[in-house]
This record gives sequence, C-alpha cells and structure tokens, in this order.
Amino acid sequence: MSEYTLSRGEYEVLQRLAKAGFKEGTLEEAAEATGLDKSTLASLLRLLSEKGIVEIIDVREEKYAMTEKGKRVLREGAPEEKLARILAGTGGSAPVGEVRKLLGDEAGVAIGQARRLGIAEVSEGVVSLRLPPEEALEAAARVRKALEALARGSPPSGEELRLLLRRGLASKREEKKVLVRVRGDLREILSRARVEVGKLTHELLESGAWRRVSLRPYDVSAEPPLLLPARKHFLQEFIEMLRDIMRELGFVEVRGPIVEMELFNFDLLFQAQDHPAREIHDTLWIKEPRRASLEPYKELVERVAAVHERGWRYRWSPDIAARLLLRSQTTSVSARVLASRPKPPIRFYTVGRVYRSDVVDATHLPEFHQLDGIMGWPGYSFRDLLGLLREVASRLGLKLKLKPAYFPFTEPSVEGYVRLPNGRWLELFGAGMFRPEVLEAAGVDYPVGAWGFGVERLAAAYYGVPDIRLLYTRDVDRLRSFPARILRR
Amino acid sequence: MPVLRFKAERLESLTGLSVSELEELLFRLKCETEKVEDYIEVEINPDRPDMYIGEGIARAVLGLTGARKGWKRPEKSRTWGTVHSEAPPSRPFIAAALVRNVNVDDVYLEELIQFQEKLHDTLGRRRRKAAIGIHDASKLPSRKIRYVEMNVNEAVFKPLGWEREAPAREVLEATEQGRKYGSIALRGDRHPFLLSGDTIIAMPPVINSEYTRVEPGTRDLFIDVTGVDEYTVLKVLDVIVGGLLERPGARLETLLVAAPGRDPFETPRYEPAVNTLSAKWASSVLGVEVDAPRIAELLAFMGHNAEAEGDTVNVSSPPYRVDILGPIDLVEDVAIAIGYDELGYTKPTVSEAGVLLWETAAARLLRDLALGLGFTEVMQLTLTSPSLLDAVGFRERVEVLNPVQQEYSVLRPSMIPSVISVLAFNQHRRKPVKVFEIGPVIEPGNPPRDRITMGMGILDNEVGYEDIQAAVYAILRVIGVDFTPRRAEVPGLLPGRTAELIHAGKRLAVLGEVDPEVLERLGIKYPVAVAEIDVEVLAEWSSRIQGPRTQSPSKK
Repeated sequence: MSEYTLSRGEYEVLQRLAKAGFKEGTLEEAAEATGLDKSTLASLLRLLSEKGIVEIIDVREEKYAMTEKGKRVLREGAPEEKLARILAGTGGSAPVGEVRKLLGDEAGVAIGQARRLGIAEVSEGVVSLRLPPEEALEAAARVRKALEALARGSPPSGEELRLLLRRGLASKREEKKVLVRVRGDLREILSRARVEVGKLTHELLESGAWRRVSLRPYDVSAEPPLLLPARKHFLQEFIEMLRDIMRELGFVEVRGPIVEMELFNFDLLFQAQDHPAREIHDTLWIKEPRRASLEPYKELVERVAAVHERGWRYRWSPDIAARLLLRSQTTSVSARVLASRPKPPIRFYTVGRVYRSDVVDATHLPEFHQLDGIMGWPGYSFRDLLGLLREVASRLGLKLKLKPAYFPFTEPSVEGYVRLPNGRWLELFGAGMFRPEVLEAAGVDYPVGAWGFGVERLAAAYYGVPDIRLLYTRDVDRLRSFPARILRR
Repeated sequence: MPVLRFKAERLESLTGLSVSELEELLFRLKCETEKVEDYIEVEINPDRPDMYIGEGIARAVLGLTGARKGWKRPEKSRTWGTVHSEAPPSRPFIAAALVRNVNVDDVYLEELIQFQEKLHDTLGRRRRKAAIGIHDASKLPSRKIRYVEMNVNEAVFKPLGWEREAPAREVLEATEQGRKYGSIALRGDRHPFLLSGDTIIAMPPVINSEYTRVEPGTRDLFIDVTGVDEYTVLKVLDVIVGGLLERPGARLETLLVAAPGRDPFETPRYEPAVNTLSAKWASSVLGVEVDAPRIAELLAFMGHNAEAEGDTVNVSSPPYRVDILGPIDLVEDVAIAIGYDELGYTKPTVSEAGVLLWETAAARLLRDLALGLGFTEVMQLTLTSPSLLDAVGFRERVEVLNPVQQEYSVLRPSMIPSVISVLAFNQHRRKPVKVFEIGPVIEPGNPPRDRITMGMGILDNEVGYEDIQAAVYAILRVIGVDFTPRRAEVPGLLPGRTAELIHAGKRLAVLGEVDPEVLERLGIKYPVAVAEIDVEVLAEWSSRIQGPRTQSPSKK
C-alpha cells in the first residue's frame, strides 16, 4: 500500500473535501465545499494532482446569454409573433398602415421576418397571413421558444441558435472551467497520508497530530540566515583577563581620578617641573578649573618640595603641582596609593584611561588604557619585581626579555619586551623600584616595585588587529562578528 | 627619546667591535639600535647624555666588555683665559672651557653638531635652561672673554653662515635660529652677547658668529655654556668636555670666570660625584648577594672609580655621568654590569587572594546581564567632540585646555551621547540595534570627577520608553537593588517620556526616549531609547549590604 506524503495545506484540502462528500465537480464547487478561496485551493489541487490523488481537467465551454433584446422578445414575443397575433385577430389581413400604427418601430422587422418565414405576404398595401392562424402563430413563436429554452439553461442548437445569434437575441462567450475529480476513496487516502510540515508547532504537539506528520528534510548544505551574537567587547575582555591575572597574583584593585593634579601625576614621582614630559605637546590640561587645592595634602607637599629642591636644585612651585590635567599615566594612582602610606605588604594595581597629546593614527590614540601595579614590603627586591614581571608575561602566554631602562621615578629601571606570535618584540612593561626620593616624598619606608604598561598596543598585537583605531570601532556588526577564541585561562 | 646617528665605521673603529656586538652591548645600556645604511641609529635615554657622541658610546661599551675600567681625572694644566660675566639678567650663568687637540674632521664635525643639538634638546631644555657655543679657539681674537648684555640695535656681528655683518636685531628676525630661540633671552631691546676682546663671537642661546666657525681642520675648541640654572650650565659643560677629552691627545685648559658679587672660579668644574655605597644595602635592593669588592669591580666596568672598604664601597663617578644622583643610581649600574638576565628572579608567592573593585565586580555582572538581553558591548573614548554634546544638549562638560584635534576636545559628561552616536553610526544595520557601554564619564565640578556608568541604547523601527524601561528593570530587578521611579529631565531626552530611578536618595539610573529634534540633528531616521545606570551607586549598595571584603589602602 502506497503512502502519501502531504503538506499541511494539501492534507487540509482533502480533509475538507471528504467532509463535504465531494467526488467530482468544478473548482468553484470544490471551493464552496471546502470553504477555501479559489486560488489557494487551485494551487493545492495542482500539487495533489501531481501526487495522483486528484485529477484536474481543464474544460473550455461555450456559453450563451440572452441579450437585452432577447429578454424583451422572451417577455413580449418576437415582432413577427406580435404581427401574427394581430393578423389572426383581424381575420387574416390588415393594411400596412394599420400594422405600422400598432407595432411602431417593430413593424418593419415584423413584416420582414413574417415574410421570410413564409407566414405572411404583403400585397397592395395589405399584410395577409399565408397560413391558417393556428399554424402561423406556431411558426412565429419559433424564436421565443428558442429563447425560453435558453432561459431554462438548455440552449438550443443548430438553426435555432444561429438564428438567435444572427438576430442579436443571444450572445456567445467562451468559458474555461476546471473540473476536479477525486481518484479513489478520500477517506482511505487520508488514512494513509502523512502530513509533511516544516516545523513542529505547539498545535501539532498539543493535538497529537505530530504523530501523523512528517518533518520535511532540509538541504543541509544550504547556508542558514545570517545571525550575529550579542557580544562583549574584545578589548574589554582583554582588560578583564588582565584583571583576572592580577587577582590571581594577589593584587587588590584600586582607582584614582582621571582629572588629576600634577602633584600626583608628576611631582610625587620625582619628575622635575621642567621635565620635557610636562610640556604642552605631551600632556593635556583642562580649561576649568585650572587648579585644585593643595590644602588636603599639606605634609605631602612639604616633603615633595624638599625632595625636588634637593634633587633637582631648583625652586619647586606649588602652583605647578596644583594644576589639573588629564592623567598621562596611571602611575598617578600608584602615587596616590603610596601617599596614603599603606601598611606593608602591599600589592595594588589599577587599570584605567590615560591621556596624551597625540594625533590619532594607526599606532596612536589621544586616550588609552594603562595597567599599573605596585608591590612592596621590607626586604622587597628588584629580583622580586623581575619575578612578578615574568609571571605576568607567562600568564599572558608571552616570553619576556629584559632591558635596562630609564624612568624618572624608578631606579633600577627595566623594560620588559615580549615576543609576539609574529616574531616581533613588543615593549610590554616599564618597571622599576621606586626611587628613594619618591618613597621619601610619599612617606613610605619600605622598598616598592612599580610597573605598568599600555593595554591597547598589547591587545592589538594579541588579537592581530593592525590598526589601533579599530579597537574603538563603532561598527556593531564588526564587533559582533569579531573572531572569538577559546582560552583556558 | 633622543635618537642619534653614528657612522657605523667610526663606532667599529672606536671600539674594535662588530655592529652586532655593539647592538647587543648597547641594548644592555638601555639603548635601542637600528642599522640604517652606513649608520647606526641609537635611541639613547635622556639620563645618559654622555653617550651622545661616538667616544661616549665607546667608553660605555668598552666598560661592559671589560676593556676599560674606571675613569681618569684629567690633569688640570693651566688657565687659558678669563670670562668677565656681567650676569645678564635674562641668562645670568656662564661656564667655559678649552680643549686642545680635538682635531676636527668631516665625520667628527657632523657628530659634534649632533652632540650639541641633542644636549640642547635634553639637558638644555631646548636651549632655555642651557645652551652651548663651540668655537675654533685659534680664531678667537683675545683670551679676554666677556659675557654682557647689549642693545640688539647696536650690537653688530657676522652670524654663522653669513657673509656680512648685521645688527643683532636683523639676525633675530632673519635667521631660523633667531625666530626659534630669539625670545628666550631677549629683554626689551637687550640681549646677552659673548665677546672675545671687542668681537662678538656669539649671541647665546641663539647663534654663534662666523668668525670662530669650527671646520674640518680645527684643532682646539673653545666651549661656552650659558643658561638660567648654574648647576645645569656646569653639568652640560662637564658632559661636553668629558666627550671631547676622549679624543687622542686631547688636553683640558680652564677659564677663570669672574661674576658680580662672587669670587672668581674656574670652569669646567669637572668634579666627580662621590658616593658611599653599602654592599649589604645594594644586595638587598637587588635581591642578589654581592660583596663590596665585587661591587667595586662591577662599578669599574661601568666607568666609575670604586674602592671597597669593609662592607662599603667608596665611589667616585665621572663628572659627565649626570644620572648619578645618589647611591641608588650606582645600584642600577651594578645590576647592568651583572646583566639583568643574570640577576635571576624570585617567583611570586601568593598568600592572600586579590580583590576586584566593587565597581569592577558590578560592571562584570552588568555586562553579563546586558548581553543576556541581546545588547552588544561597545567602547568609545571619553574624549569627544563638542558638536556631538551640543547636538544632544549636554552644555556642562569639562573642556581640554590644549586639544590636538577638535573632535577630541571635550570629555563626555554622560554615557548617553556616546551611545546615541554609536546608534547613529549603525542605524542602517539589521534592527533592532542594541548596544551598551560601561566606562568612565567625567562630571564637571571643582575638581571634575569621573564616574563609572553604563549606557544602554536601542534603535528600531519602533521603539520607546517601555522597551528601554523593560531592559533596565530586568537588570536591576535580578540584581535586587530597590528603587523608586519618578519623572525627570535629562538633556536630549523627551520630557514626559523620561524617568529617573532613585535609590537611597541617589540617582541610580535615567532612562527615556531620545528627543526627535536630537535625532534629526544627528541624522538618525529611527526612534531611539536610551538609559544610563550609575555603576558606582550600584557598587556602593552592594558593598553596603555585603560588607567590606576589599582591602582598601589602609593607613599605617
């Protein structure tokens, strides 16, 4: 026994046809039986005919309809019939003038037709019947009778039909018709049919109809519609990874102000007030207010002044230290922590934005992130610091190379270079032991190691992004389709 | 950082080392190098200006190879001449020296000019603090040097490179140096000049005269350094002299400087920096045991004269080593001599777990929740353009005093403009476009203060208050923070369709529909709803209910 696989729509059509007891009929009749609209039904029936369940026969039919003139004839009789009645009533003949008076416009047609039919003749101004009245009336009714047949729905044929058409009493039009015939027993077909559906639905499951359906197989080589997941920003993810590393290494996260006093950004870090880094083309200041009060930092300011004047042999200006800038390094946060004179051992770090007077290009942004850490206790050594730098690099999966370096606030100083997957060396850390001048100014009496690095350049290298500006793209689709990595850390 | 160019051939002949050996040793001396054709370009840190000339590089490198130890104090032979300084008020200090048998040739002249220029830029702070004049000593008409202030309309001389004499005023206006450095020491119509006898030999810090031009074939050099800070003036002279004295057969002669109100003194000072270093202390700083004799030996490699005496090392550092401010700077030299890679390292031990800031912890949670609601994270700079803030209606904001680019000249006071600008950029993407950003905004004030906030925004064919409200409420309700909504006015948002959520008297969040006026100004053709959640209020709340788990920097 063969099985039929039907779509949900096809199944429904058959179901309705069965319910209405439909076996054969026109499309219109089928539409009526199923309650579906004709065009939907037609396309479903075509599909069913391809499956051999129904037969569809296209039929062309000639249809005849009565014209207005024909309807009048049907009502009143044809003009020749009217004439025959008149003549029968006047004893077989009447003068033409009389006939014209009685029949008006129809008189000419009536006489002409009556003559053609051999019912009457005209001679010397008189119309006379040529047949006995009974016969004449019979013959004159021929047209009306043909019309009556047409009105009954059984159009006349042959001579009669041609007559009606010729006389403009009926018109012909061609009609296409679709005949539908069900092949076989619908109930049986339905019992053997499986409905094919694209998706399981709540309805199917709820009604249990899912048992009778089959799910349409997919072309699995076809591409799905494009979908992009909502994503976290990869640069932020990188920063969070750095935070995780710091946390694992026992560091406490801290924060400091972005709009900062020069005191913490430079002076406490033993950067001379005429140091080139403090010049206008390196640092961004704010317009309003220009300065903050040094009042809360009185003792600190005294110590800073003393250290600068001794070390740099110049007159230290509190006015410069009070100026407000956009911090140029997150070491300003470390400086603040140091100035709070925390109890050792200390392990603090901060990650945040810093600002430089740079024009935007592929390797420069006026604003970027730095991570800065400090670590110290009595007996803390440069070797401890190097150990930490190695550890951080190794947790980033990078190999570290050390290079002596110079920073105004650390001694000894070191730069850490890491080898990138592409073989290039990238300067990662700047680090060192805070100079005694810095510790003295802050009021800290144990050694402290400090280190920091720029996040964006490393992140760009890490993700293989060639242009640092792309880290701050506004293109949401680009962010959503950014390649994701499976990382074990 | 200063980058200097040296003929590779010259460095090779000065050191007897190959380019690759040089590059490796220079790396250990904080330098980065690059071979460019016949030259080696060396990036030298500003703390080692003594290496701004080939002989200085050779001196440092040969110490590391062990070929040179310590330094030799030059015999101070005789006083060559006198400098009578009237201490011009705009630039009161001068020091001078004479070095014989420098023997200038083409290559050396090029390096000498570079030496001078880089010293100007670094120690000299672009000639403001100190500036150097180098002269052919044999061309000086007199050994009586005078440093005086004169009227620029009256002083006449032939500046370097000119064929005629001209009034100083004209020199200031007509030369590049005049335009660049002319304002440093000019005081009305008066400017400092250096004279030999009655001839003007320099107009410091602007330009030298043609009369005393140094050229290939020049044998002896007269050097003057003038400036506003005496220590720097003397140190710059020491650095120059220290470099010149490395020339074979070079000999130093001094000048006697007489200045008003003080006893005459000899320059260059050329005094060593004397320090006493404790071996125990140095070992503890480095974390490596080094005894005093070893330290003395290592310091000798680094060009110091050092002697061990018990646990201490007495060190005399050459005058040109301006980076030696105290014993700690010698510790670094010890570390460099050992080699940073040889120092080893101590693997960190972790006894106490680290802690995140509450803000960070809150931000992490918010990011997860926003993501769950289908919002994609974006990151923008806090520096933004005034036109964006104007368009949205944020008038109160912190402005940068010296911006480089107009589009980065103000700081965002709220996350709302940032979010709107991102949505504007993405308005033709598949809708809805849903984004968020967590980061700092800078609130104007005295002083301005940064806050961490979260901005959220939705752009769609149809979107409104309820859509953003649903998202914000969903987030805040799962976190469990309580709040009361009330009507609010926020720049850029529609009155009547904007709310603020108040928690403990503080504004926890604002949310609303963006004003169509704003949308039109920014060319946005779709409705936008936005919100801003104050991460700090949330962080404060969670720290309050959970207690302080964090170790904040505690006072001693």
